[in-house]
Amino acid sequence: MVAFILAGLITLPLLYVIFSAITADTAVWQRLWTTRIPELLFNTFSLAVSVAIIDLVLGVSLAWILTRYRVVGSTFWDWLIILPLAIPSYVLAYTYTYLLQRHGPLEQFWQMVAGSDAQTFSPFSFAGATLVMSLNTFPFVYLLARSAFKNFNISFEEAARATGASRLSTFFRVSLPMIRPSLIAGLFLAILYVVSDFGAVSMLRYQTFTYAIYQQMTGRFDNTAAACLSLLLVSLAFAFLIGERWFRQRSRFYQTTGRYRKPIPQACSSIQNLCFTRYLIVVIATAFGLPVYLLIQWTLDALTAGDLTTGFMGYLGNSLFLAGVTATLAIVVGVPLANLACRKQTWASLLCIQGAYTGYVLPGPVAALAVLVLITQLTPELYGTVIVLLIAYLVHFLPVALQGMESTLQQLSPNLEEAAKSLGAGAFRTFSKITMPLVRGGFVSAWILVFVQCLKELPATLLLRPVGFDTLAIRIWLEASEELYQLAAPPALLIIAITIPVVLLLMKNPTGEE
Amino acid sequence: MRSFYCHKILACFIALIVSLLVVPPLSFSDDTLVVYSGRAERLIKPVLDAFQAESGITIQMLTADSTALVNRLKLEGPRSPADVLITNDAGTLERARELHLLHPLDLPEVESAIPPSFRAPDNSWIGLSGRIWVVVYNTNLVKPHDLSSILELAQPKWKGKVAIPSAGSVYLQTGVSVIREMKGDEVTEDFLRGLKDNAGTSVYGKNRQIVAAVARGEVAVGLVNHYYIHRHLAKHPDAPIAQLLPDQGENGMGVVLNAAGIGITTHAKHLTQAKALVKFLISTKGQQMFASGNKEYPLNPNVEASPALLPLNSFHVASVPLARLAELRDPTMTVIEDVGLR
Repeated sequence: MVAFILAGLITLPLLYVIFSAITADTAVWQRLWTTRIPELLFNTFSLAVSVAIIDLVLGVSLAWILTRYRVVGSTFWDWLIILPLAIPSYVLAYTYTYLLQRHGPLEQFWQMVAGSDAQTFSPFSFAGATLVMSLNTFPFVYLLARSAFKNFNISFEEAARATGASRLSTFFRVSLPMIRPSLIAGLFLAILYVVSDFGAVSMLRYQTFTYAIYQQMTGRFDNTAAACLSLLLVSLAFAFLIGERWFRQRSRFYQTTGRYRKPIPQACSSIQNLCFTRYLIVVIATAFGLPVYLLIQWTLDALTAGDLTTGFMGYLGNSLFLAGVTATLAIVVGVPLANLACRKQTWASLLCIQGAYTGYVLPGPVAALAVLVLITQLTPELYGTVIVLLIAYLVHFLPVALQGMESTLQQLSPNLEEAAKSLGAGAFRTFSKITMPLVRGGFVSAWILVFVQCLKELPATLLLRPVGFDTLAIRIWLEASEELYQLAAPPALLIIAITIPVVLLLMKNPTGEE
Repeated sequence: MRSFYCHKILACFIALIVSLLVVPPLSFSDDTLVVYSGRAERLIKPVLDAFQAESGITIQMLTADSTALVNRLKLEGPRSPADVLITNDAGTLERARELHLLHPLDLPEVESAIPPSFRAPDNSWIGLSGRIWVVVYNTNLVKPHDLSSILELAQPKWKGKVAIPSAGSVYLQTGVSVIREMKGDEVTEDFLRGLKDNAGTSVYGKNRQIVAAVARGEVAVGLVNHYYIHRHLAKHPDAPIAQLLPDQGENGMGVVLNAAGIGITTHAKHLTQAKALVKFLISTKGQQMFASGNKEYPLNPNVEASPALLPLNSFHVASVPLARLAELRDPTMTVIEDVGLR
């Protein structure tokens, strides 16, 4: 019962957006169809596709190299490769607006190579957005490809080689198709990220749905157009999710015989070693090393110039407060929902759990819009308080917590709980004495995940924060959009520093994986 | 032991939830003033800091887009914590007035300091500093007589040579509103299409970037607010840039003039403090800060503009009243979006 009410409350904002979009004046729809929507669809799709292709190439090649060859320091590389996930997209975007500006560092370097007339592409373009988004998302594909390659049954490849297939055709005709489910899962993660990202595209002024929604909300005196675009974006994201499920169900591979042999990494020649190492260095440097180096440099500049404002600790405090409370709330709200999903499989519970997952397809500005409209209609006295912001965070990030908790609870046999109940323990006692101690690890990692996501949240905070409640992310945004690189760097570096251990932890403990 | 931890964790959860429920909505003590500001922090914060130092009143500031702030005030209604609204565009203030979000002011100081054309008839908003929308050109690439009207920038001869602000810029929106009012929608749309083609990828989010691009010679001309040119020259005195005042002469449309301003909100909780801020900002001292620090035009006639600027009364200004900008805004946005400027 509790779960139903919670799920209902969580879905309410989305329903309201749908309602206000459907009841919108047809003139608004018509204007959007003729002016904005085709362009936004094209931009969003082409960005998603190009990012997917680059992610695929980077992720698969890196995973292949690190699982199949004994590259010097492979464990070390394995850790380094996922670090780009610790950089918020808007931070990566703002370092690249500096690097790629005209006469900027990258252009000057390029002119040394290709002659003094050479130009690099503008960061404020399709190419710029593609670069930043793929550097930010390829670890998703890498992680899934890597585990697929590791658990691969090498007998299949050996059979192909034994019947005369070349190495190359074995790779493309046997290995790659075999790991397709993992690749698709990784790609969908990356695409969903691209479709719902606000920070990078707005920093690069690349017109996708999220950015356009934000512009409509901040540029016009009317939110109807924003609601219409939100409805489209949500349907788009929803279609992606359904598509992913469908693909996963269709492409499952089963072990037909009991002969399973793990692949053994090959020794590689010094030439190969050199090539692989260079490749790894280039990728990690562009996605992580260079941006972080810049941020450190700028932070030092800001510190020596004494530019660090006194409010800095306050921003940090606000960020930690919001993230901590939201993460805790997400777990508390998530317990009955996850319990329902794992223990009582009825259509009603299924509906309920899917309802709670709507936050997943609700990108930041949309979540903000939804909560905003709803709060002003139902409880206007809350507007402008921290509570509104917390609700928006909760709606947006509950799915992240749910996913982790659900998978932990699923691993717990119901027998244990039933045994406790048959011995006369009540529901609360069973939960606190049996369930809770056993699932604590999974819950803690879910808590941490939500915490980290909240730290970097931008659009909802921009639209809903109370006066004097700037967070680290907000400061990065305000300073970076004024091109005050030095001032934006310290909070950015801090967020990255807090996120890195979490990202590394997730790699060791894949139950909390996104 | 285990159950002990469990209870502890649960207790912490409960404590957090309870603390959440009792966290009071933010309220501010008597000596604070809550400012919603649509201006860049860099330009407005020094002035507010000076006021804070002089009066002892603490200022809480929320920075966001001017329009977003008006939307926010509207939603918050009587519960709004905001005492004053500062924007970079008079049209936005007028819109706030139409929505009854601003408090009419009966202050003799305002009447004497700011000319009537720069404030609402009931003084619910007051212009603080003036800015004109001008052409910045690279003196190595362009001669001043090459260009006399902004509208010429749509001609093919400027292809690849002009930098413009992005569609989200309030300055571009104001400029387009004025051109629509003076020349009609058809001329405006043709102009914008040509301008879009000529600018290509040279579309910038910030005026500062446009001036820098012109100074580096990447583009020959750009459309900016005048003070960005002077701010750049103050830092780089040798930069090959200069200001060109467009659309002058007998038949010229006149240059686009806008004002940044302030209004006290209808539901201001700190009316006395808000009035003190307004008085400070229109006083000689406050106005001088806009004039010397920002190189904007002070609107108080007793305060001299920076000697680097052309005097405000020495050129032809487009005859669109500031208040008219409010109603022009939404259709202007539609025109800009239709043309495909982003």
